[in-house]
Amino acid sequence: MTIWTPQDDGFADLSSHDTFATGAPHNTFARLRRDDPLHWTEYAGGENYWSVTRYEDITAMNKNTEVFSSARGIRMEDQSYEEYLARRTFQETDPPEHSKVRMKLLKAFSKTTMAQYEEDIRSLCAEILDQALAKGTFDATKEIARQLPMRMLGRVVGLPEEDLPWLVEKGDALIANTDPDFTTHVLDKMDTDEFRMMPFNSPAGAELYVYAKELMEAKAKKGDTSGVLNLILEPAKDGSTITETEFRNFFCLLVAAGNDTTRYSIAAGIQALCHQPELLAQMQAGGEVWETAADEIIRWATPALYFRRTATRDVEMHGKTIRAGDKVLYWFISANRDESYFDDPFRVNLMRSPNRHVSFGQFGPHVCLGMWLARLEVTVLFQELAKRISHIEAAGPHKFLRSNFVGGIKELPVRVEAA
Amino acid sequence: MKVTWKLPDGSEITGTAEAGQSLMEAALAHDVPGVIGECGGTLSCATCHVHVAPSWVEACGGPGDFEDAMLDMADTRSEASRLSCQIEATDALDGLVLIVPEV
Repeated sequence: MTIWTPQDDGFADLSSHDTFATGAPHNTFARLRRDDPLHWTEYAGGENYWSVTRYEDITAMNKNTEVFSSARGIRMEDQSYEEYLARRTFQETDPPEHSKVRMKLLKAFSKTTMAQYEEDIRSLCAEILDQALAKGTFDATKEIARQLPMRMLGRVVGLPEEDLPWLVEKGDALIANTDPDFTTHVLDKMDTDEFRMMPFNSPAGAELYVYAKELMEAKAKKGDTSGVLNLILEPAKDGSTITETEFRNFFCLLVAAGNDTTRYSIAAGIQALCHQPELLAQMQAGGEVWETAADEIIRWATPALYFRRTATRDVEMHGKTIRAGDKVLYWFISANRDESYFDDPFRVNLMRSPNRHVSFGQFGPHVCLGMWLARLEVTVLFQELAKRISHIEAAGPHKFLRSNFVGGIKELPVRVEAA
Repeated sequence: MKVTWKLPDGSEITGTAEAGQSLMEAALAHDVPGVIGECGGTLSCATCHVHVAPSWVEACGGPGDFEDAMLDMADTRSEASRLSCQIEATDALDGLVLIVPEV
């Protein structure tokens, strides 16, 4: 039984957010991997771009930051240089500049540091699951997947619990700025020029700026210098600091990116449980499966569908020439289904090992800082879920986010039977 | 060159590294658990951290400035700590022994 069947005809428009509203166009990616691994797209929304779809190419290019730079923007949409400066974080920089900032945060997000949150996560999961499962039939994205990362964000970043729903709503308005369910300022459907200096062209960016400023002022008043927000303000080894704009953008990044990606990994995992019934039994058997399950669920989900780079010089590849200044998209969603690298990539195999997927942007300097937190949240959530249910099934059709940047199931009706 | 990784559980993996390959890449090729190399050798993650066996410390040399700063972020840094993505396989290191830290 397949978990869901791709709807596209093999020639989907990758620039169109509507394409992804019925799930990623895997038939198109499969054709591109086979026939046109460096694909040129005429883009109505701006400068044309290259799409890279093979695992082997993406992993090789991702580490080559001298040729493929992040410092011109990381999404398909074009940015003027002043927009880039106003909206960038260290995500939109290259080594060594990037590494100076990243280094300040590495320890706070290391595997060992994150492991200390395990019991916290477990008790949050218990609370969230007991509440949701009691309903019998419910939207698993809303009641489960959305809850855990949101509440962990509060603990890891140091934000008041009562502010979290508002923050996550704003984070969604930023990152899901192409889906009318999440914002009234839909990026490709209206003129958002007024907000072009804000993260994601979104008025929610301005609200988060104000929030971040007030939060840091309140912390300073109390003499509180704890948490990752203060860490990033520390001078680097060479004495350099980040600007106030960069700080506020970093705050937006934490609230947005630190949230929906784990949410959509959990949702994809729950959806897989509904359609591949042996998965629940494997989870219930426990033991070694937990060493590999989270990575497979995260490979399966691939919430960050692509990131963009910009060529710094002419490069020959697959008989074509990428010109200096061309935009190049790494489609992680395609690499994670590459049949020439993964055995049976369209099947969830919780025991897959090794599982060198690229959902976290691995094999490059921008590999997800929050990956250990994400893995831990996914592991513990499914451990606790598997304990509590004897059966789970779809209770209606699911709905995908309208976005070619973030892939996720935004509505997931399920029916459960308690264990 | 031949290289041996000593694992936290007491077991060992021995394999070859091609000249020019980094010891992180070699570890991945031999599926050495605990050497992850998530950033692809771009000095951004410290997940390929190893301790060089005492008799090999001199031959391997010390970390570069940036590597040194990154190693400060590793959980179990020692005098013999290196990021294995920054050690290049050469004939001079034939027989190298690396100790994989527990993470």
